[in-house]
Amino acid sequence: MKRRLLAVILAAVMVMAMVSGCGNKAENAGANSGNKTEDTSKDTDTAKTGDSETGDAQPAKIIKILSIWAEDKDNGKLITDLTKKYIAEVNPNFKYEFELVSSDNLKQKIATLVASDDLPDVFVYESGKPIVDLIENDKLVNISKALEELGVSDMMDEGAVSLLKTLSGTDDLYDLPLGMNVEGFWYNKALFEQAGVEVPTTWEDFEAVCAKLQEAGIQPLTAGGADKWPLTRLVNSYVVRSMGGDAMKKAADGTAKYTDDGYVAAAQKLQDLAAKGYFGEGITTVDQNTAGNMLLSGKAAIFYNGSWFTEALTADTNPAGEDGIGFFNIPVVDESISPITEYSMNCGNILALAQDKYDEGTAGWLKYMVQNLGNEAMTQFGAVKGYKYDVAGDLSSYSKIVADELGKVTKATTWYEAGMNSETSTVAQDYVQTLINGDMTAKEYMQFIQDAYDGSQY
Amino acid sequence: MKNVLGNKKAIALFVLPGLLLYTIIVMLPVIWSVYYSVYEGTPGLKWNFVGLANYERLFHDKNFHNALIVNLKYIAIVMIGQVGLGLLLALFFRFWLTKFKNVVRTLVFFPVVLPTVAVGQLFVKIYEIQPNYGLLNSILSNIGLQHLVQPWIGQSSTALGALSAMDIWVAMGFYSVIFYGALLDIPGEIIEAAKIDGCNAFNLFRRVLSPLLKPITITCMIFSFTGTVKMFESALALTKGGPGSATKSLSMFMYSVSFTYGKVGYGSVIAVFIFLLCVVGSRLINLFDRKEKA
Repeated sequence: MKRRLLAVILAAVMVMAMVSGCGNKAENAGANSGNKTEDTSKDTDTAKTGDSETGDAQPAKIIKILSIWAEDKDNGKLITDLTKKYIAEVNPNFKYEFELVSSDNLKQKIATLVASDDLPDVFVYESGKPIVDLIENDKLVNISKALEELGVSDMMDEGAVSLLKTLSGTDDLYDLPLGMNVEGFWYNKALFEQAGVEVPTTWEDFEAVCAKLQEAGIQPLTAGGADKWPLTRLVNSYVVRSMGGDAMKKAADGTAKYTDDGYVAAAQKLQDLAAKGYFGEGITTVDQNTAGNMLLSGKAAIFYNGSWFTEALTADTNPAGEDGIGFFNIPVVDESISPITEYSMNCGNILALAQDKYDEGTAGWLKYMVQNLGNEAMTQFGAVKGYKYDVAGDLSSYSKIVADELGKVTKATTWYEAGMNSETSTVAQDYVQTLINGDMTAKEYMQFIQDAYDGSQY
Repeated sequence: MKNVLGNKKAIALFVLPGLLLYTIIVMLPVIWSVYYSVYEGTPGLKWNFVGLANYERLFHDKNFHNALIVNLKYIAIVMIGQVGLGLLLALFFRFWLTKFKNVVRTLVFFPVVLPTVAVGQLFVKIYEIQPNYGLLNSILSNIGLQHLVQPWIGQSSTALGALSAMDIWVAMGFYSVIFYGALLDIPGEIIEAAKIDGCNAFNLFRRVLSPLLKPITITCMIFSFTGTVKMFESALALTKGGPGSATKSLSMFMYSVSFTYGKVGYGSVIAVFIFLLCVVGSRLINLFDRKEKA
């Protein structure tokens, strides 16, 4: 009897321990959230005192910023610097929390936050298809309307605005650009000289240049095949030049099929370039950074990348020096279909604002950002971000190249996956490696994409 | 004490806390997945009841078939490699290795404690072909086997093999230590007796050691099986599932379906499938044990 009692007591103790363990956790969580609210109340307290001191009645607000760039890097620095300035100059009651997520995990992170109805006030995301889902579900602030209300619509660069609207297929703007990039081929001048070739303007010339470089014992092309997108960009290049800038969009709309001859021919072009050995061996194992370094160190002559590549070019570690690398736009196949002044462009990652968290406090910050982003980016980085600016930046020789190219643009086209949903773009990117290795035909590759597209329609 | 343990109610009380915890942490998510699998879309965005449509889709999905085949191949190669080489190494430690025992054992065990991402990066460098030959390709080209130099992880034909080799290298030390422990437990007299009876090395292993090692072998097989079914991080670190989908496993496919394509319902079906695969596979391995008892 005693023993039975003992057993019962023991068991009861165990259960209690377990429950109290959980209880502890819950208590802690409670305590934590309690702390948080305490903090905020403290914040508002100090804010209130701040109020009375400065005498301006700016709304107190804490915003959450989710970024793929660290606070001291690139656009991350731009955003935090401006936010700090905003706090110092305009609203002392404003505070921000900065969260960093790797760009690979961005989509998943946002998907999770959407599912739990907890989007941050401001977050970095991808333009085009990814934000369309959010727009359709009323998750994003209508930026066009918001800027109109704040009276700062005229601070946006029209080119960037129309590009973003095209990407999301909306009449209004729902995201803020954080860059204006042109894409094309970067080439190593010394190697071109060594092989005695000129910058090609037509696709035929381009292929001839590759052949000549190879004869001279130079690897003509390199690409970040391990990262997949640099390869699909090359297919896209030929699609745009041979079928027109809207060809990929047509296929994504369903008005054309990916298996149509033109698309297959473009995939075939990439496979042919690889089959001739222009990419060297095992291009699918080279990542974009390595490929870029190969161009700079003279191990390969031509490399496709966007204007963000200037970051690597302007670094002190660039072995090619300040004038060793040049740029040319994608060579033309047929001038009447796509002229040389048509560029593949994008706005990089974008900033979006959560609709349910948008209030007066965020609006003030938004206004300040839009007014000052252009100038800040120009003075800090010598970069154009899609906003008007009226300061003269200190441009490096490479940034000048980009600025010149931006000046030549008469028409912008988008990248390969811009109109694809994630399922189709994953397949398009995965199998481009199989295609370039010659393990599947161009026809099969496009068939795979079409199947993924059809499969994702329901 | 006997009275306490002989009492069913007492046992139930002792088991209950652990069982409760296990149920909440393990069983509940599994049931949750099954519940999710009859819906489509992402909870919070689009979330509709579709019944068994997701299950039907699985049968026609060639991407799923591809991932399944890749995964099964990988399980077969890596399981045999890890356990087989682990056993060979253990025998080597026990019967042939006389000097530097501890040093060699430590060296063989060392890869087990390395983080997967670091190992992945290491092997990326070993298999490298562009811009410079990695270790493997430079050895091949230096000993005159230039025709064998190839992008090991950059082509479908060799990528899965290269990945398997890496994972075998990582884990064989772990299994060798387990087997070595088991071999030390076998009394020396038995081995002596077998030798006196005229057993050669092969027969000694076949007739004496392997029956005695059977329980440990089965344990190791189950370890290895559950590890390889989950094939994810090493493939991600070495090849990102590429080239194409040559090293894309079931879990990677599930991940992209659920989190990249935003089809949590369909992803849950794949998760349920992986769960069943684990259960069935473990049962199959356990059958070897059954036969013995019968």
